This record gives sequence, structure tokens and C-alpha cells, in this order.
Amino acid sequence: MNKKIFIDPVARVEGHGGIEVLIEKDRVKEIKVDIFEGPRLIEKLVVGKSPDEAVSISSRICAICFVSHRLSEIISHEKAMGIKPGRKTQLLRKLAHYGEMIESHSLHYYLLALPDYFGYPDAIRMLEKYEEVAGALELKKYGNKIMEIVAGRRIHGENMRIGGFGKYPDEKELEWIKAKSYELIPVIESGIKLWEKVNVPDYLEDETVFMSIDSDGEYVFIGDRVKISTGEVFQSEEYTEIIKERVVKHSFSKRCRYKGKPYSVGALARIINSGDKLDGLAKDYFTHLYNSRWHKNPLFNNIAQAIEILYCLEKIPSLVDEIRKADDDVTGPERKTGRGVGIVEAPRGLLIHSNKLLNGKVDYADYIIPTTQNLDDMEKYVRVAAENLLNRKEENLELPLEMIMRAYDPCISCSVHMVRVKRV
Amino acid sequence: MIQANFFDQGVKVEFEIFDIKSFIMASSHEDLSEPLDIAFVEGSVSTERDLEHLQFVRRNSKVLIAIGHCAVFGGVQSMYCFSPWEKKYEEVYGSTDAVTLTKPLRPEPISKYVRVDAVLPGCPIEKESFLKLVSQLKMGVIPKIPDYPVCTECKWKENECLLLKGEMCLGPLTNSGCGAICPSLHIPCIGCWGPIREENFKSEAILLIEKGFDSKEIIKRFSIFGGKERAQRLENLLEELK
Repeated sequence: MNKKIFIDPVARVEGHGGIEVLIEKDRVKEIKVDIFEGPRLIEKLVVGKSPDEAVSISSRICAICFVSHRLSEIISHEKAMGIKPGRKTQLLRKLAHYGEMIESHSLHYYLLALPDYFGYPDAIRMLEKYEEVAGALELKKYGNKIMEIVAGRRIHGENMRIGGFGKYPDEKELEWIKAKSYELIPVIESGIKLWEKVNVPDYLEDETVFMSIDSDGEYVFIGDRVKISTGEVFQSEEYTEIIKERVVKHSFSKRCRYKGKPYSVGALARIINSGDKLDGLAKDYFTHLYNSRWHKNPLFNNIAQAIEILYCLEKIPSLVDEIRKADDDVTGPERKTGRGVGIVEAPRGLLIHSNKLLNGKVDYADYIIPTTQNLDDMEKYVRVAAENLLNRKEENLELPLEMIMRAYDPCISCSVHMVRVKRV
Repeated sequence: MIQANFFDQGVKVEFEIFDIKSFIMASSHEDLSEPLDIAFVEGSVSTERDLEHLQFVRRNSKVLIAIGHCAVFGGVQSMYCFSPWEKKYEEVYGSTDAVTLTKPLRPEPISKYVRVDAVLPGCPIEKESFLKLVSQLKMGVIPKIPDYPVCTECKWKENECLLLKGEMCLGPLTNSGCGAICPSLHIPCIGCWGPIREENFKSEAILLIEKGFDSKEIIKRFSIFGGKERAQRLENLLEELK
């Protein structure tokens, strides 16, 4: 049987992409993840702009995870200019980032991913039987509210600046954030328990390499050092030696490889590399749910996201208390010319913004986006799944293949819907 | 069905006056068997495929509304810049034919290609203004956006003027609707609701020059969210004033 499957658009992803699968005599001949999202050329548009302007422009790369883009851009400029932000600023950035993790993961886990596992076209229709899904809205609203309070707006807030903040949140707002976090812990716990009802398909299993930010202490989303699941580590400035970008004809998003091979970033990568650093209830659920299949099946990214929501909620009260006590003594700038690399964990994975400044203006910019790093692995897993499903004489390949794409929560508008199977 | 929850105000409104026929980013269920009453279009046109899709949507909808800065003004990606777009494209992708999926186009607002019945600008849009817009549509009114600058909203909030403090705030050149959110955080306006209407544009530009800002710096900052055409006009205007 020959067939060409084309899922276009792939629904419930943030952007426009398609999966093309060409099947010849029951064998997969070709797989292409097409990214239609058009070119924006932001790396070139920031050239000649001031660091502040570049922060406002490059954070527009993504409306879902603007906090991550903004943070990596800010950190990159601070390093380039020799600015050391104060303690309060660093802690408030962490709080905004937790807000974004909760907001983005709750949207993806409940509203975009779970309906597939329970056989619904969307979360609204799923809600009729599974009222736990309503938790998504509560969690998302909370994450958004943190972003609004700390980062200035739910989307594209401008309050996080190079060296500090426009305005600090007030005591009443901080207290609200703290008090609400306790209320939401049982909400995400019931969400995690939904996963226990899920039978995670096994038609797509294969080994890969995971990359995420490393730390000496706690489970982090910001840092300077990257860990690879092979055991290697590298410093943020060395990223060009490790991650190689290339252009492919079927995608406006570039592709990344590590030593010529695909790799994965995101919640699953973080939890595989640093799950031992989790604590509290998040650690308990992780220990209870974790098994060796997590290393070879990207669908487990979904439950990793839910555990991260719980982790952030549990961390917020003590973080708020630290913010209350912290001073904000910024030092610098020391120079107007220099290079800086800012790395953070965006909800979808490792995000790198690198800038070279010349006399206070951006001279060169390079951004490595999580989805560009995941695309090669997405193609690999779609291929593995298609081959296994064909061997099992499955007729309907479309939904299983779409689910793989969705598991990665592709921020396709950031790098750039989705499956066409053609049997020829 | 549209649900509007004004949690902050403690009021919840539900009205079942709209059916969502297609919202592919949220649901795999789609029904385009009949023409749409209203289409909301987000995003700029940056490939031939976008253009074909936009034309399909226009043909199949009675009212088409551009929402968000990208659809209304082209987004940051349509920024007026001083070297050709094709050259920048080559710098990023290696060559103009490096990606063959569909033909890339220089990003443009949707009004360049199709008739647009109403707009809701902003990067991002404000949820309250979106709700107002759908309510007006239900009442058969084609919505109009306010045509005064951010400065007006800033005065209502009794903020201290950042221009008087020597900061280059784009409030005077920028359409209101955001509630002067950034100046209220002591941050100069970056212009993300796009340029104010034509009538006031010249006098507001003169205001910035009178405050002593360098014309090149004004254009550079304005061009980020100003849209290509308006940025070119500002450049000519400031040239005349010299």
C-alpha cells in the first residue's frame, strides 16, 4: 500500500506547521516536518538598535513565553555591558519565570495535549466528563496574573528591564501571589492524577540525547551551564561549539544538531537531567511516576510539564519571602562594547540569546529557540512511530503522529498545523 | 458561545451569541461549510501561502477584522529598515531560494492585500477592548478604535510626563488603548499600539523635536512598531523640519 499523509494544519499547536509522510509499499520513504510560519528576520532587525530597544523587539518572538525571551535577551546585554543586577531583581525575574512556566504548561498539558489521550477534539468538550480540566483555567489565570504583576502585562509586559524593574510589585500583590499558590497545589495534583488514567502509547520509542540548564543546587530555569544527558557540560558562551544550526528546504525554522545528531530540550529533558534536584510533592510524584520509558518516549514531556507546575507552585511562598527581604544594588555598566550570551529554560526548553554590542548598539544577534532544537527529534520520532504503526497494520496514522508533534508543545510561531500521509 | 469573566471586578458575563467555527490553535474541530459572519485575522502576511489563506478567508467572510499589531500594521517583522529586506533574508537563510516550501514575502499588514472592515491594534491587544469589539459587532456596529494618543490616557492616570524628564517616550505618536501601561510603570512608551491617525501626526512629531530629541533616534525607535509607510513619512517629515 502506498500513501501520503499530510496533516495540515496540525491543530492545537502554537503556530503553523505540517507533517508530510510518504509511504511506499508499506515502508516509510520520507518524513518532513514542514514549518510554514514565515520568516521574520528578527536577528537582523535588532542590528543598530539600542539594548533596550532590542529587548522590546526580541521578546516579541513569542507571546506565550515572552518572559523567557525577555530574560535571556536582558541577561545577554547585562553580560555584554558588565551589569550585575541586584538580588531583588534576580528573585523577581525568577518569580515572573515561574508564572510563565505555570501559564504555558497548564495551557499545553490540559488544553492542547490531554484531549488526545481521552479522545476529544478539544478541552471544552473534554470538560463535560473530566471536570479536572477546569483547573487549567485557574492555573493559567494565576500564571498570567503573576506575569501581569511582575512583568507588567499578561503578554509582552515591558516591566523587566536591563539592570532592574520599572516598578516593583507592592506588598499586597506579593501576598496575593503567595496565598494563591497554596490553593492551587491540590488543583495540579488532581491534574497529575489524570495522567495515571492515561495509557501512554509505545509505538514511538527510541533513545535520544537531552540538553538542559544545570546547577549545583536546586532545580533551575536560569543558569550559565548546560548539561547534556551524555554526561558532558558546557558553559553558555561555548554554545556555538556544541549546537550547530542549519537550514532545510521545507522549513522557515532552522534545525539544530549536537554532534550531527538530533536532541531534545524541554520539560522532559530538564526532568531527566535534573529530576534528582526536585523536592517536596513534585519529587514524590516524579519518583512515583518515573520509569525508564521516559528516556525514549517524548509523550512523557506532558507529565513532566505537570510536575514542573507543581514544583513552581511549591517554590513560590519561600521565593516571595526572599523577595520581601532582598535589596536591589545594581552595579555597572562597565562598558558599551562586548559580547554576552543569556541562557534560560523557556517552557519548551533551552533558549539562547547572544548579542555583540558595539558602542552601545547591537552589532550582531543570534537566537537559538527551543523548537528549532526539537524539530529533528520530532521528525525522528514521527518516523519511528510511522514505521511501527505500519508494521502493526494500523490504518490511521494521522492522530498518533500529531500527538508526537503536540507532545513537544512546538512553539512554531517562535521558530514557526501538521500530518499528510501519502501512500504511493 | 463567548464567556467573559471579569474576575477582577467580580462580575461574570456569559452570552451565547457566537459559534466558533474555526480556531485551529485551540481545537481540531473545524466547520467551514458555510461562509462566516465574522473572521478575526491575526498575523502579518509573510509568505505566498499566508496570502492565499488570507484571500480564502476574505472570500468566505462577511466582515473581516484585523486584530493585533501584526495584522494591523505588520508587526516588528515589517519594520522599516535601512537595508533591503532581501539582503537580510539572505543573511539569515544563506540564499533567497534556501527554503522552497512556499515563497517568502516581505512581511506586510493584511490591509495591503484585502479589504479590512475594522481593526483592533496592540502588541498585545487588550482583552477588554476585544470584548467591546465583539459586543459592538453583535449590535451591528462596526467598531472604531480611539483616535487620541497614549498621552491622553497617561494624563487621565495623572502620571508624571517622561518627556519632561528627558526620556524618549513615544506616547505622543502612539495610538491609545493600552491604558498608558508602560508610562504608568515609569517606562517610556515603545509604540506597540501603532501610530496615531494621520491628522495629528505632524504636530506630535514636532513636539518630540522641540523636546530636543535627535531625529535619527526618533525614527529608529518609531520604526519598531510604526509600520513601514508611516516610518517613511516620519523620516520625510523630520527631514523637512530640519
